[in-house]
Amino acid sequence: MNAAASYEQAFARFLAQRPAAEQALRSEAFARFREQGFPDRSTEAWHYTDLTALAGLDVQLSTGASADATPWALEGCSTQVWVNGESAQPTSSYQVPAGYVHGGLGGLHGAFARQGLDLHLAAGESPPQPLLALCLSTADSAREMHHLAHRIRLDRGSRAIVILREAGLGEGTRWITRSLEIDLADGAELTLLRVQEETAATTQWFQGTARLQRDARLHLVTVDLGGALARNDWRIRLAAPGAQAQIHGLFAPTGRSHVDNQIEIEHAAPHTTSREVFRGLGFERSRAVLNGRVVVRPGAAKTDSEQRIASLMLSKQAEINAKPELEIYADDVKCAHGATFGQLDRNAIFYLRARGVPEATARGLLTCSFANEVLGQIAHEGLRTQVARVLLQRLGVGADLGLSA
Amino acid sequence: MLDIQNLHARIGDKTILKGLNLQLRAGEVHAIMGPNGAGKSTLSKVLAGAEDYTVTDGSVQFAGQDLLALEPEARAAAGVFLGFQYPVEIPGVSNMVFLRAAFNAQRKQRGEKELDAAEFLAWVRHRVKQMKMDPAMLSRGVNEGFSGGEKKRNEILQMLVLEPKLMVLDETDSGLDIDALKIVADGINAMRSPERATLLVTHYQRLLDYVQPDRVHVLADGRIVRSGGPELARELEEKGYAWLRAA
Repeated sequence: MNAAASYEQAFARFLAQRPAAEQALRSEAFARFREQGFPDRSTEAWHYTDLTALAGLDVQLSTGASADATPWALEGCSTQVWVNGESAQPTSSYQVPAGYVHGGLGGLHGAFARQGLDLHLAAGESPPQPLLALCLSTADSAREMHHLAHRIRLDRGSRAIVILREAGLGEGTRWITRSLEIDLADGAELTLLRVQEETAATTQWFQGTARLQRDARLHLVTVDLGGALARNDWRIRLAAPGAQAQIHGLFAPTGRSHVDNQIEIEHAAPHTTSREVFRGLGFERSRAVLNGRVVVRPGAAKTDSEQRIASLMLSKQAEINAKPELEIYADDVKCAHGATFGQLDRNAIFYLRARGVPEATARGLLTCSFANEVLGQIAHEGLRTQVARVLLQRLGVGADLGLSA
Repeated sequence: MLDIQNLHARIGDKTILKGLNLQLRAGEVHAIMGPNGAGKSTLSKVLAGAEDYTVTDGSVQFAGQDLLALEPEARAAAGVFLGFQYPVEIPGVSNMVFLRAAFNAQRKQRGEKELDAAEFLAWVRHRVKQMKMDPAMLSRGVNEGFSGGEKKRNEILQMLVLEPKLMVLDETDSGLDIDALKIVADGINAMRSPERATLLVTHYQRLLDYVQPDRVHVLADGRIVRSGGPELARELEEKGYAWLRAA
């Protein structure tokens, strides 16, 4: 069976089960995929990440499997669970997400995606608990795929904390696309924690888009721990004065994992603010890419933007390509950026060893210290501890050395 | 307890210690004084096992062991403590996590039982009080945002918690105001015992007003050039170091 045929067949089967109201939209989306296919390296944004191999994949749709969500549950959250893109709870009607960084990829996603989290808060609402959207993937057989589209709409002055936790189980290879559309009305505030822990046999594309209106605030903490290939595209538009975006990102690929983050913040109105802090850890033979693009549109005076990227190479074979990118079309703006690469401070390692701490543990503690500027922003203690534990395990340090005292 | 013979050490291709001899018995406090660049900090770091330094000749015996053959963490477990001149900041790793990691790592290396969080908290708490530190510091990052004086006090706290046998304090008195100096000195004195020895590396006589040394050595150009009783420190304070070079 050739590739196109496997996607065509999967789509035909999938479409047949969907409500009539969705069919036209999905078919249009699939036509875009058929026409444009997968992105290749000829475009700058895909310079490091080649998805063309996916075209040759003999895919099949994931069957709705069950999985034990307990290990991923978090205390004090109201929780919704998706397994392979399907939820046990009823979900709202599907809408094809608008706008994609790549037409073909967006078309594939739009054609196949099921409705994921759909959070809509009315003006002034503020749920007492964080909302945990737990997206698990399992694969009974190889080359399974599933696709999931989330939406968060916060009306005027409402506030929410959302945790998007993506985790993989099982051995099978899989191909996942996920999207998240965020709309923040005037004065709305969203704290979004996204932690990606897919398996080393998973190819994953994620697209996040956000539009912020007047005085709206987005605090995004994004953590990539897993995936064979994980690509995240973020487009954040500060559409009205006073809008603020704050991003704390940590990427820590291991093995032969490839993680590519493309973050674009668009200052489309005056008096908008963005802050980005990224920490990269290069383990083993992994490869990471970070492109932090800031665009200041004409008229977006008094834009205040800052990007700080620091990477720590923990292995000679690891590779990290990180760069800030600025495009400024307005006067009277403040845009600062910097990217550094380094290794652990030898003097600090000696300090710990001189206190009796074995070298591997010393390295682990110092690596967590390096990552802490992002870890410390994970506004859920249980999740923060679990992420720190994953890092410590990668550094060969026992889990009993949690960072919480 | 500590027997240093003909110690030669270099950093890069610069030789700093050029045949240093020093013997320290259990129960004793010795002070090492000397001008800048004499090798005081080098001696401290070589004893603790800093990799930047290469020992090219000589030997160091500690409690019957060849100290130079041990990794830094094994030296710590054997009872060597270096109070750093410039303690390192480790944001995001709390003092509590750090202390417990160090404490239990040493016990593990010695084949002793590790303490759990509650037991260890009890162990630490009154020592924090002893150093007149705010217990809230335990949940702050190691030396994170600490003043110079607070960092030095934290060094002494670590020493009280870890209960080493040999304490090498590298200019622990520098950067301290008089109140902090007294607290630090009290901490050092509290650790004096017939089983322990202390090496105070200092530039000034000041600390020695509070911690009475048994012996004072002058280190110049990589060697001990003079040794004496506590009165030698006062003589140095009055005359400086220049007269030694002239002599």
